[in-house]
Amino acid sequence: MARTARVSTVDGTLFKQALLGSVGWLAANHEEVNRLNVFPVPDGDTGTNMLLTLQSAVEDIKESQATEVSKIARLASHGSLMGARGNSGVILSQIFRGFARAVEGKSSLNPKELAAAFEEAANAAYRAVNRPTEGTILTVAREAGRAATAAASQPDATPPAVIAAAANGAKAAVQKTPSQLQILRDAGVVDAGGFGLQLILEGMLRSIEEVDAPAPVMTAPKVKAAQVALDLPEEGWGYCTEFLIEGENLDVEKIRSQIEAMGNSVLVVGEPELVKVHVHTDEPTKVIALAGGFGKLQRLSVGDMSTQHRRILEQESGDATARPLRDNGVGIVAVVAGPGLVEIFKALGADAIVEGGQTLNPSTQDMLRAVDGVPYDTVVLLPNNANVILAAKQVAGLTAKQVRLVETHSIPQGVAALVAFNPDRSAEENAEAMTAEAARVQTIEVTHAVRDTRSNGLRVKKGDVIGLINEKLEFAGDDYSEVVNKALGKLGPDAYELVTVYRGEGASDEELARLESSIRDSYPALEVEVQQGGQQHYPFILSVE
Amino acid sequence: MKRPFAVVTDSTADLPDEWRERYGIEVVPLKVLFGSETFRDRVDMTDAQFFERLAASSKLPTTSAPSPGEFAEVYARLAKDYESCVSIHIGSQLSATAEAARVGAQSVDGFKVEVIDSETVTMPMAFLCRAAAESPTLEEAVANVKARIPNCRVLALLDTLRYLEMGGRLSRAQAVIGTMLDLKPILIVKDREIKPIDRVRTKARAVSRMVEFFKSEGPVEQVGVVHAQSAEEAEGIASRLREGLGGQEITMGQIGCVLGTHVGPKAVGIVYIKK
Repeated sequence: MARTARVSTVDGTLFKQALLGSVGWLAANHEEVNRLNVFPVPDGDTGTNMLLTLQSAVEDIKESQATEVSKIARLASHGSLMGARGNSGVILSQIFRGFARAVEGKSSLNPKELAAAFEEAANAAYRAVNRPTEGTILTVAREAGRAATAAASQPDATPPAVIAAAANGAKAAVQKTPSQLQILRDAGVVDAGGFGLQLILEGMLRSIEEVDAPAPVMTAPKVKAAQVALDLPEEGWGYCTEFLIEGENLDVEKIRSQIEAMGNSVLVVGEPELVKVHVHTDEPTKVIALAGGFGKLQRLSVGDMSTQHRRILEQESGDATARPLRDNGVGIVAVVAGPGLVEIFKALGADAIVEGGQTLNPSTQDMLRAVDGVPYDTVVLLPNNANVILAAKQVAGLTAKQVRLVETHSIPQGVAALVAFNPDRSAEENAEAMTAEAARVQTIEVTHAVRDTRSNGLRVKKGDVIGLINEKLEFAGDDYSEVVNKALGKLGPDAYELVTVYRGEGASDEELARLESSIRDSYPALEVEVQQGGQQHYPFILSVE
Repeated sequence: MKRPFAVVTDSTADLPDEWRERYGIEVVPLKVLFGSETFRDRVDMTDAQFFERLAASSKLPTTSAPSPGEFAEVYARLAKDYESCVSIHIGSQLSATAEAARVGAQSVDGFKVEVIDSETVTMPMAFLCRAAAESPTLEEAVANVKARIPNCRVLALLDTLRYLEMGGRLSRAQAVIGTMLDLKPILIVKDREIKPIDRVRTKARAVSRMVEFFKSEGPVEQVGVVHAQSAEEAEGIASRLREGLGGQEITMGQIGCVLGTHVGPKAVGIVYIKK
């Protein structure tokens, strides 16, 4: 049964209980905080930093029997200062410091004093930071303090009500952080540090409300156990799975090591009679079955994390249309065929792809549509094939946009040109640099002759392997490796560093492996990189630079 | 009789040992965490040990700033022999170190600490430390350092963007510069930002581009070449710089564990303060 009704002041014992509860709650949720982390340094460790700081804050408190709230607060202040990590951790340590100062000399706090301490904690945090930024943990701390003060002024105010108000105030402030910070808005998240503080306050509240509960309060029953029966997602984040194991002589280490093999963010703590388990796993039913073998499961909760994170993942997926616009106002359209090559061009910055190439030359109309479709007034157009250049030249006369045609004759030239694109330079500077880079690259294309022919002094039979250097037929033979090595020999490999092999859909794994090792054997000084191009008709296209 | 001021920095300055001894500069280590194991940069782990472990580790390590308490201990110790100190740290856009130093300084009474956010990383910080150490008074040291901060530059050529991306020090939009193809990005650290200035397919050309960029920057007050386990390449770059520098000293430096976590092995850089 809850002690809520009996709590009229916060003494050292209760404050200790609250802090220990906050550690558990933050521990169970810190990975979620990590995933929100974008400001000020998007390194995804805000939750971990805050947890480590908080753990350091309670280090000495665990052993303390002090009943004065001031003593516990001082220990927390000192411990958090020694262990503070990261920006949010440092600010958290200052929150504890402010709180400790506000309660100095007091053995217990009435609701008003408690609220005043929350407010002072926020003030101290503001003072400690060089350039306070709104929409962060600072704002959340302040709003929590204000909400606490408002609650404390009610006639029948109790400490749990004050902490509940602080936690709710924090929650509301967290939800507002995206409206205060552009970077959060862009990423579609709330502030991580602020959310961490909200969790700490919630953890305090939970532990005070459940002060008589038998186990360390670490459960986060976000979703009812009934949802175990839900279908598993085919791919996704997995499930946040939590429960208690009740039994006799439970081996915490053994349970931990077995659970660890089944997921991540594993937290297994407890005593021989009761063990708390938290794990993020793709197979919650297996985890539950395993744990059921150790003892009786309680407070089972399985939460689907994929839903809540889908939005963030979508933003990360690098979709060209989701990219922020370039400051130089220059867009890029490229003519490419083959799924792998399309991906490569998109990843390098192409805003639109016109499908086409050697045998499927796109029309002027196709290219015009793509040029008009990109959100830029100036567009660099890469034809990537000699047979497309003429049609591409027409585009400029048909659109109101500025079109810079960089006359790339091949895929390797197109890649080289695109690599040289710099979003800080003007269209003219880019076109110049891209043209120069395209000219530096040598292209070897390998295909089969479609009929008997004579060309460039070579007699070629239908079906022969033929090698073209910069569009000119140079070698014929029956083997890819042989033709490629001859072509490389003709180019003079000493002048080059890197060969990139774009593998077409017609080349088998074995043919690719053979080609790769034969280039390495013949020209050990050259670096060889293989990319899946997926182009038709050309089993191999090679870029030599 | 106490001496007027001490110079404090952190391990990301990649301060040459010789300067550390000559000027008596205090270096506070940042930390590298492999899983639950914490190592103090260059105290518990040498650069060589770090890169060996990095190569063998399936998961990337993480890094963390010193705690305010650790700074407070250093300042309290210095307070016995010095009147004050200037504490020069890695840019606050990259790390919480300067913030931790500022907070730590507040808990040491009667000892003046001037914490300076260098806005940069690696050896330009060492140059700033030297400028401070060669100043006669704390006020002049602070002024000399602050005057140089806007002119600090780091040009970095990474072997791969993977480490910078995983460590979160490069925004996702910028990370687009290095996907799919094995590109060699050249980055510049200036004005509190890390920006790509070029991307090149091959290392040799990337080195040439970086050297060209440096030469286009005009005269420099101090210059150095830093590297992560790539001494030979760094020497090569230094000799190419020498051609245009007319006998000016080039300081060679090694990238430590914390910075190494974010740039990865084989990174090389040209670092300088513009005149």
